[in-house]
Amino acid sequence: MMKKRITRKTIILTAVIGGILLMLTVIGNTIVSSRQMMTATDDAVSEVSSFYLEAMADQRAKTIANLIDSNFDDMEKAVAFIKDQGIKTDQELRDTLGSVKSLLSLDGFALADEDNIVHKQYTTYTGGSRHAFLSEEEMEERDVSTFSNYGSTKEVCLAAPTPDLQIAGKPYKASFVQFDIREIIDLLAFDDEGRTYFGLYSKNGECLSDTDLGPYIAKNNLFDSIKGILPEDEWNTMHENFSNGVEGDTSFTANGVVETISYVPVENTDWMMAALISESVIHDRLQSVREKSQTLSNNQIIFILLFSGIFFLILFLMLKDLSKKDLEAEKENTRTFRHMANTDSMTGVKNKHAYSDAEAYLNQMIRDGQIEKLGIVVCDINGLKHVNDTLGHAAGDKLIQDASTMICKFFTHGAVYRIGGDEFTVVLQEKGYESMTQVIEEFNREVEGNIEKNEVVVSIGYSTLTSEDQCVHDVFERADQMMYQRKQQLKAMGAATRS
Amino acid sequence: MKVISRRISIALLALISVLSFTSCSAASSDLQAAGEVLANTEEGASGAEIKTSVHSAVNFDHELMPYEPKKDHYNFYFTYKTVHPWWDAVALGMEDAQRQFLDKGITVTYEYLAPESASAEDQTKRLLAAEEAGDYDVIGVDVADEAIISPILDKMSDDGVKVMTFSSSDAADGCKRIAYVGNTHNYEDGADLTEALCKKLNYQGKVAILVGSVGAPCHEDRAMGAKDTIAKYPDMEIVATEYDMDSVDLAYDLTLQILQDHPDLDGIICCNMSNPVGAARAITEKGSDAVIVGMDHDQEALHYLKDGVIYCLGVQDCYSIGFDTLQIAVMIADGNQPGELFDEKTDETTTVIYQEDAPIMLSLLYGDE
Repeated sequence: MMKKRITRKTIILTAVIGGILLMLTVIGNTIVSSRQMMTATDDAVSEVSSFYLEAMADQRAKTIANLIDSNFDDMEKAVAFIKDQGIKTDQELRDTLGSVKSLLSLDGFALADEDNIVHKQYTTYTGGSRHAFLSEEEMEERDVSTFSNYGSTKEVCLAAPTPDLQIAGKPYKASFVQFDIREIIDLLAFDDEGRTYFGLYSKNGECLSDTDLGPYIAKNNLFDSIKGILPEDEWNTMHENFSNGVEGDTSFTANGVVETISYVPVENTDWMMAALISESVIHDRLQSVREKSQTLSNNQIIFILLFSGIFFLILFLMLKDLSKKDLEAEKENTRTFRHMANTDSMTGVKNKHAYSDAEAYLNQMIRDGQIEKLGIVVCDINGLKHVNDTLGHAAGDKLIQDASTMICKFFTHGAVYRIGGDEFTVVLQEKGYESMTQVIEEFNREVEGNIEKNEVVVSIGYSTLTSEDQCVHDVFERADQMMYQRKQQLKAMGAATRS
Repeated sequence: MKVISRRISIALLALISVLSFTSCSAASSDLQAAGEVLANTEEGASGAEIKTSVHSAVNFDHELMPYEPKKDHYNFYFTYKTVHPWWDAVALGMEDAQRQFLDKGITVTYEYLAPESASAEDQTKRLLAAEEAGDYDVIGVDVADEAIISPILDKMSDDGVKVMTFSSSDAADGCKRIAYVGNTHNYEDGADLTEALCKKLNYQGKVAILVGSVGAPCHEDRAMGAKDTIAKYPDMEIVATEYDMDSVDLAYDLTLQILQDHPDLDGIICCNMSNPVGAARAITEKGSDAVIVGMDHDQEALHYLKDGVIYCLGVQDCYSIGFDTLQIAVMIADGNQPGELFDEKTDETTTVIYQEDAPIMLSLLYGDE
């Protein structure tokens, strides 16, 4: 029994400690994993933003380059078409330019002759001061340029030499198209809810696209804007990259916000395409991911705590139930032991040990003055030795049991103790005390009747507590003496005695 | 453009308001524009008034007048003094009007041509060639030299050709050209710029005058306005008058020479668009303190104004000149004469701007902050 209890406690203790350790380990691991994921995310932001921006800038640069190539191709087709028309008059030229416009959708298509006279569908004008590419005496290669028009529009001019073109005998210098740069920029725009910015720049950092490169740089000169907030060597590198048409990226902090710029050259032009994103935008973008992750981690922790709580509650209840059962069993055992220790096995009344306990208790009560009414009855079985000797111990035991039964029958309101082989004591208090004299008289009459019937004879003496008594034994002594006197009386009446 | 008292200016503005309410749109817009010029040049005008005027100095927001052309196709010939960005700005206004006619289903074709350098002889040849071609509804000219060109225009008119003048230089008084669209106050522009310079110099000092092309009415009139203004102040002296023939490089060289001859030069009056650019370059290079006043909207000149090298600039509304020239040419081609539809001289504004106005003008004209 003892061994089983220890094993069970050990198992429970192990389960509790193990459970707590497991719970702490899982929670700790969850928190650490969550933090590590966030740190890894932060580290990835810079790399991803640069990569993302570079791809974005590169895509736009290619779009522009393709658009320019497409325009130049169309211009070549237009010139070839015009050559084939055999134009002889200005009106025929205007009509042909109108056809080119509708056939190839080249809205701003124009030709410039050797005198820098520009021919369009509806207008012929002197263009020397209006078109920079005409300042060259002879045009040798394609020219892509931007300029600020009077009226603040920025325009793109794509010009190509036309060395073999003659109309009505007059050599022509170039063909060109000119259009608002916003026509290109509108093609590049897409709805990303203002998270990223881009701009087309000249090599000196002038914004050609009239687009905001973020709130800090806006439409201002790129290099002027970031001078002072970008380390000088990085600024110089970027400036050099722009000058040489080399792609790159850089980051700077403006107004507490980290901005990343990627830039790539636009093929066959002097332009650079730049894209910018604020790190905060990426962080904001990742915020939902972070929040989800955080929520997941929190849920995990809550689940673990909940699960552990339920587990420990069940464990506690089981332990409590187990302890209660053990306690009750122990109490029962104690009761059994105590009962066995205080009960006479032969008669079923309380034994000498129980009387000693009761006597000690009563003595304390007497000392404390808490008891006034106490009666002690001392009983002794007459002729027990004679029965044992003549009829055997079984008969003797039977006599004892009969005596006990008779005593208990009369002293129903008293505590009966077997204190010796043939001796009983009855302790009377309260109701038993009040009826003591009457009961003794009835008892004695019964005994005297038994003498004639040769049945069990018990001599009794009694006494009550007096003010001089110091303890129960004082009362007992008087009752015992009285009992001997009664025994002599009964002998005289024919009852057997020990002697 | 004159320096007049605040009281007159206020009275003019009041008149403008009344005219606006009575819906005299065409006339009132001219007067309003004139009023803005006057208000802007008015000494002591409030900052708010100046800014408003600067913003409206060039009007890019035009609509054709409610006139129904009689034909669906017109063909014009325009020639001007010389190849120069100033006339390119005029061309943009013309092209705007051309687009708006096209939107109404009316095709307007034209030639807009000039020599590399100003020349009355070249202009004469062009005009006669255009007359001989005979297929132009109207021939327009920015007069290179009124003495030479005016008789040519008279003869063309006598021959039945519909002739108009435009941009900055009209023909001589009494010329038979039908109408003029452009700056009608070149003399006043020169006088007002010079008045501003004199005040800045506390009405004493040596000044030089740079002029554009010899004989060009607009340039000569401004120079005349400048000279007459200087003459009012006994402590002011004109030490040199030079012509740059509308060349920035020549303006630069001439200014260097003037500074060499007169190291104590106090100011330079520039009468055309190239003058102030060349003068500012030279002044900057030499570290001179000479105060520059000049004409027009050259981007480089506006930057010099922004930087304080140039004191003030008179900015003409070239866009409106071009726009109005084309739509009045259509009316003239239809046989209309000055009167209810258009004035014999359609005035366009000049706005004097100062250093604080330069960023606005740079943004307005060039998107340049």
